[in-house]
Amino acid sequence: MKKYVIRRIFSGILTILVVFTMNFLLVKSAPGDPIKTLMGKETDDPVLRAALEEKWGLNKPLHEQYLSYLGNAIKGDLGTSITYNRSVNDMISERLMATVILGLSALLISFLLGTAMGIFCARRDGSLIDSVLSTVSYATDAMPSFWLGLMLMIIFATKLNLLPSQGMYNVRAGYTGWRYVLDVAHHLVLPCMTLVLITMSGYFRITKSSILQVTNEDFITTMRATGMPEKKIFNKYIFRNAILPTVTMLGISVAFLITGVSLIEIVFSWPGMGRLTLTAINQRDYPTLMGVYLVMNVSVVVVMIITDIVYALLDPRIRYD
Amino acid sequence: MKRFFNKTLSALRSDAQLRVGVIGLALLFLIVIFGSVIATHDPYFYGPDSLAAPGQNGHLLGTNHMGQDVFSMLVYGVRTSLMVAITASMISGVLGIIIGGAGGYFGGKVDVVISELINVFLLIPTFFLIMLIVSLFGSDIRNVMIVIGLTTWSSNAKLMRAQALSLRERTFVKSAIALGETKLQVLVKYILPNGIFPVVANTTRGMAGAILTEASLSFLGLGDPNVISWGQMIYQGKQYITTAWWITAFSGIAVIITVIIFYMLGDGLNHVLNPKYSQGGK
Repeated sequence: MKKYVIRRIFSGILTILVVFTMNFLLVKSAPGDPIKTLMGKETDDPVLRAALEEKWGLNKPLHEQYLSYLGNAIKGDLGTSITYNRSVNDMISERLMATVILGLSALLISFLLGTAMGIFCARRDGSLIDSVLSTVSYATDAMPSFWLGLMLMIIFATKLNLLPSQGMYNVRAGYTGWRYVLDVAHHLVLPCMTLVLITMSGYFRITKSSILQVTNEDFITTMRATGMPEKKIFNKYIFRNAILPTVTMLGISVAFLITGVSLIEIVFSWPGMGRLTLTAINQRDYPTLMGVYLVMNVSVVVVMIITDIVYALLDPRIRYD
Repeated sequence: MKRFFNKTLSALRSDAQLRVGVIGLALLFLIVIFGSVIATHDPYFYGPDSLAAPGQNGHLLGTNHMGQDVFSMLVYGVRTSLMVAITASMISGVLGIIIGGAGGYFGGKVDVVISELINVFLLIPTFFLIMLIVSLFGSDIRNVMIVIGLTTWSSNAKLMRAQALSLRERTFVKSAIALGETKLQVLVKYILPNGIFPVVANTTRGMAGAILTEASLSFLGLGDPNVISWGQMIYQGKQYITTAWWITAFSGIAVIITVIIFYMLGDGLNHVLNPKYSQGGK
């Protein structure tokens, strides 16, 4: 077990390093000269150029630039945004909360609903409701998440006028206290519903297929033969064995949500990291873009490693691989 | 040849998903070939009626803000989607097969390095990496296809590595080695052709992923403005969502149908090619 954990953590650290290096090399090899951009198109003064290169450390050899960038990142400094001239750390931490609220609520609801539906359908395999839900899950899997968001917006915001379609709270009302929380929840419904619909199908399918698989195993047949009540077999043996793969699914979907939430935030103007990413793309603000990417990457790696370790704790077969 | 044909036919007969997938793909190719006949308008033509509703002035599915015919754009968009899907997943499939096959077959130090590389790439959130590269190096459609291919090979490599690991121990491979064939010959002649099937099924599913990725990139404004793509149509339609829902709605439906076709094809191939699935269960 210890060896497995160490190996996974090693993989995780390696991944972050690889991503970091790739980030650095990509930006270095990208077309365009940052000094030229800073100087402006018309000026071509070698003195100014040398001064700017000195200021931003671009006159040093490549490996020194890499090491100083790495050193800063380890200290937690992601650099300065070109367009806003502000620390990337501040810009990210300002927006982190909104993303976490949306991501976590979607994760929780889709996990509970998807697993429940999977259990429900596995026990009624082949019934009408099962085939309807299976077809729907196939379709939601094929949907671009942002498109689904737009469609839900048309239906619930534009046509039915039930839910707000943009932002996180009502700017004009200026609510405080409980009223504010309710207002945020009200704004949360549409983006959260979109994410739930997109991620739920994964839980649904994996729960259903794993329950069906366990049900067909010999030890369950033996228990049935001994006359043990069906309810007890399900609660005590099938469910416990079948729930394991959903742990992996949980990790995968957190990893998906960390990046996938961005597109939905853009659709609904949710003031999280996704909006930050979009403006960074549009204004070619590379330090911000790389900072966001690094933060997302580290979070994904951490989540995946934790998932693997939890899974190994629950299922001894993995450890002895 | 005749045997291959018969086998294909019986596979099609036995698996409904594969059947739907193959028919769907054939239809998509027909649309590509006869695109100019099927399209009612020139999709690049900026017509006089902008934001016409479906059915208005002979525009089957309406027009966008520039007066381009949405139906004709959808027809031409098939071309882009198939091109992205096939090119990107071919790159990712070939890379996966070579990297995974080499790791599993050669074993030892080579495999340690390769499997660590696969682990690393499996952990990287690919979409963000693709987004970063495309925004740095330009959103030319060729760039987009290559980048999607170069970043999504890890799952193929993982499958191929497992295949090579188990094939290496099989008698027919061992006897080929005993007969004096070189390592490279064995790899190319026995390991790759016998282990390729799960990768084929996975690559087909990867095609669906490539289409969705391209659409998402376009939605972020990182699409190639010189080609007609469904993702781009959704992106442009977003601004008119309250008044002209048809631009966004129909292009999204086109994406969904195409992606489902590739899912069906991938799942069907998996059932037919993977012996683990051929008995029992779906």
